[in-house]
Amino acid sequence: MVENVIHELTAEEAELYDRQIRLWGLENQKKLRNSKILIAGLNGLGAEIAKNIILAGLKSVTFLDSAKVSKLDFASQFFIPTTEEGKNRAEACLLRAQALNPMVELTADTGDLKDKDEEFFKKFNVVVITEASIAEQTRIDNICREHNIKFFAADMWGMFGFSFADLQEHEFAEDIIKHKVISKPHEKVKTEPVTHTTKRSLKFPSLESTLSFDFKSQYFTKRMKKTGPAYIVMKILQKFREDENRDPLPAHRDEDIKKLLAIRDSMSDANLIPDIYFEHVFGQISPSSAILGGSVAQEVIKTVSQKDAPHYNYFFFDPQTACGFIERIDTAY
Amino acid sequence: MAAEIEGFFKNDLRDKIASSKLLVVGAGGIGCEILKNLVMSGFKDIEIIDLDTIDVSNLNRQFLFHKEHVGKAKAVVARETALKFNPNVEIKAYHDSIFSTDYGVSFFQRFTMVLNALDNRAARNHVNRMCLNAKIPLIESGTAGYNGQVELIERGVSQCYECMPKAAQKVFPGCTIRNTPSEPIHCIVWAKHLFNQLFGEDNADEDVSPDTADPEASGDAGKEALDSESNEKGNVERTSTKQWAKNCDFMPEKLFNKFFNDDINYLLSMSNLWKTRTPPKPMKFGEHDEIIAEMSDVASSAGVVRDQKVWTIAECQQVFAESVNNLKEQVLKLNEDDNLVWDKDDKDAMDFVTSCANIRSTVFAIPRKSRFDIKSMAGNIIPAIASTNAITAGFVVLHAFKVLEKKFDQCQSVYVRAQPNARNQIFVPEKFITPPNPNCYVCAAKPELILKIDTEKITVKELRDDILIKEMHMVNPDVMLDGKGIIIISSDDDETECNEAKLLKEMHIVDGCILKVDDFFQNYELTITIIHKTAERDDPKFEIVADKDVLKTAESVEEVKKQKKEESTSQPQPGPSNGASSSSNGTKAYESDEDDLIIVEPQSLVAEKRKHSAGGEDESPGCKRIRIEQEPTASSSKGSTAMCSIDDDEDLICIDDD
Repeated sequence: MVENVIHELTAEEAELYDRQIRLWGLENQKKLRNSKILIAGLNGLGAEIAKNIILAGLKSVTFLDSAKVSKLDFASQFFIPTTEEGKNRAEACLLRAQALNPMVELTADTGDLKDKDEEFFKKFNVVVITEASIAEQTRIDNICREHNIKFFAADMWGMFGFSFADLQEHEFAEDIIKHKVISKPHEKVKTEPVTHTTKRSLKFPSLESTLSFDFKSQYFTKRMKKTGPAYIVMKILQKFREDENRDPLPAHRDEDIKKLLAIRDSMSDANLIPDIYFEHVFGQISPSSAILGGSVAQEVIKTVSQKDAPHYNYFFFDPQTACGFIERIDTAY
Repeated sequence: MAAEIEGFFKNDLRDKIASSKLLVVGAGGIGCEILKNLVMSGFKDIEIIDLDTIDVSNLNRQFLFHKEHVGKAKAVVARETALKFNPNVEIKAYHDSIFSTDYGVSFFQRFTMVLNALDNRAARNHVNRMCLNAKIPLIESGTAGYNGQVELIERGVSQCYECMPKAAQKVFPGCTIRNTPSEPIHCIVWAKHLFNQLFGEDNADEDVSPDTADPEASGDAGKEALDSESNEKGNVERTSTKQWAKNCDFMPEKLFNKFFNDDINYLLSMSNLWKTRTPPKPMKFGEHDEIIAEMSDVASSAGVVRDQKVWTIAECQQVFAESVNNLKEQVLKLNEDDNLVWDKDDKDAMDFVTSCANIRSTVFAIPRKSRFDIKSMAGNIIPAIASTNAITAGFVVLHAFKVLEKKFDQCQSVYVRAQPNARNQIFVPEKFITPPNPNCYVCAAKPELILKIDTEKITVKELRDDILIKEMHMVNPDVMLDGKGIIIISSDDDETECNEAKLLKEMHIVDGCILKVDDFFQNYELTITIIHKTAERDDPKFEIVADKDVLKTAESVEEVKKQKKEESTSQPQPGPSNGASSSSNGTKAYESDEDDLIIVEPQSLVAEKRKHSAGGEDESPGCKRIRIEQEPTASSSKGSTAMCSIDDDEDLICIDDD
């Protein structure tokens, strides 16, 4: 798949990455520098993910997008100058993205995601897909499973968003902190944290297998009373995308809200998902893109460095509650 | 520019975004991210202030800055880059300190809201007071590593930044640093003090020589040592280490033998200290068991390997000699009265501290550390990454939307976590807004506090500089003795200069007196009740008690503390657990500009503790107390008591951003 040569960091890299090396260590920084990432879909969310991983210092990042820059992108796509309306979105990102870190190789691919085959995806360690149909996401995840490429799908509608991870068989190191008593018997008990690193592994279900998950089951309905209805909100927005072949548009605000409410009523109990959930699902709002994009980028970094437990397997950001939480969606569960 | 296009937001929010005026304080990791979110969301009128300039180590997260901007003003470059994102915004940049008197209450009143993106407690306290007095909502935030936090500060609605005591900076007793170090950090603090004694500004609190007045050493041996000291060397040398070093032309060998051989022999003569401890082993320059040839790579190579490996004794000695020679050159270039200032990013200063700390560690049988690790501790470096700052700043601006809509009830504090809590949450909103502390010495209607102080030892100048300004973050206080109408301190310097050197007692400030303190600039009035207490050696010289009701309990704590002290003198004593308390004596471990905001999130503790107890063997002693927190934290006061009772550092989430 991808060669795994680990070079020592240069003094220049050590200086630039000092504050993060102090967090995740020198070895993980070296692993980052050997990884190749694909980001498909360069709206605000794609830009936020790209920004954080480029700053972290990977080997290469490829932007894949056949769409043209539209006014709507300017709500959160800070890589694209406002003068670039109508240009290809992937290409329009390059200049500002490169300025963040000249040491990362950046490429823009203006092709269509649909036309990309197995050979294309094999060039990457991690693939992040945004703004794609469920069918496309499933196709790509299945290719990634064949070749042990780590797969992420993520989407942002207005202020609401989710991410999904299929890391297949994923091994990682985890630090377990225990408290060791260091005081003498007659003294007040005083402890000091002792860190042990252990190896763990997780096996992720495919995206396809999670699609048949029964969210109407009694068990999940009960669970949603605690976590909120984010999972179904995602399902409604995905259904809208399938039905309309687009996402809700600010220009069609009132009309699209009606359509979304109709989908909600057909899929679920209206009491479970208040109307207010559909007030902020238009375009991509910058602060929310930053929140979800920060989370996805951190998961990509975790995956590549094989450090700490990844989010298994869905993650939701619910702007109504300001809560970001992991939801395990697994038919075998 | 979401608000420029109809349909992104509901119309009322859209209008409010377009018509509001915001101040961002700080253009660092969080500040850059906030500014990006604001201009992309469609805010039209923004001002940003930051004192700092851009450093290479900022570039991994402060993404508005690039390599070519290193050395330039953060606020100015942040403005330039953000304007490229959205040219239709008015951004005013100030390369200035927020403490400057140009930014008074009327400056703050021009804004709809203030967003803090700061890295130190002093500035956070200051902006907190300015916003409370200007009656402007403030959104406070901070990050450290994977952790972050956002909270709303709105007078009468939520806690202000100073409602709850923050954990005091860790302070080590002087005798631990000077006589009986037992951990690497003790030797690192000592090495920084040694730097200042030799090349920096003299500070009486930073003496590095053996401490003959150590109460533990008292007894014949100590006296003998003292006698022999004055007999052999006399007292003159002791008065100025720097002068002595100059007299011997900063010869590395002489310096080395004094600090690591002669002084250690002297410590050994204080035999009481070594009854239960492993005695130190003096070391002379050039004495080591290692083969010289091995050290060449540290001497010549720079960068990663040199930083990461733990140096041998031979290497430490070599680096010591080189860094002393280089620092001597630096000093010679200065004017007569000028001094070097220790800086973690100065190669020689950092080499000096690394080698000295490691040599002293070896003398005291403490493990040595790499230059990389020592830099973290000596420079109090808080790790920082792009993603945590992006997430945290995202929450700041979402909170700003809610404040514009006056939905204060939805502005609960949000915590960003490294690992999920028991409910699988990574971004955790609090259930309720924590109401203000009615006894807060800042945001209460009539702020007051109790100051326990040794009125026979503290001067008026110390009251002003060390307590009111340094500890309580006032800018330019006036102090009046209540009832008598005597002005003790005037913000107009000349008026009361003659009082400065006087002891409080001489100014008739004694037990039971009431002081009226007024900081005109912060628009902050405070009533202080003085309680006299006699401070023993190494006791804090003063203690601030925020909550009057606490006084009784505080006194009983005092009793317990005294008993404890007899049992163990090695541990710094915490203040009363409820109510603000701080001490200012002894030696500060961390004294860098990268200050800390320390926050404890009850839920995170629950999750952590569960994990530990599931792990079995070593259960933290804090466990029981924290378990209580598993009950919903309905009342804030309960939450805060638990916060203060936790004593292992690991449970404190240190939030920051530089």
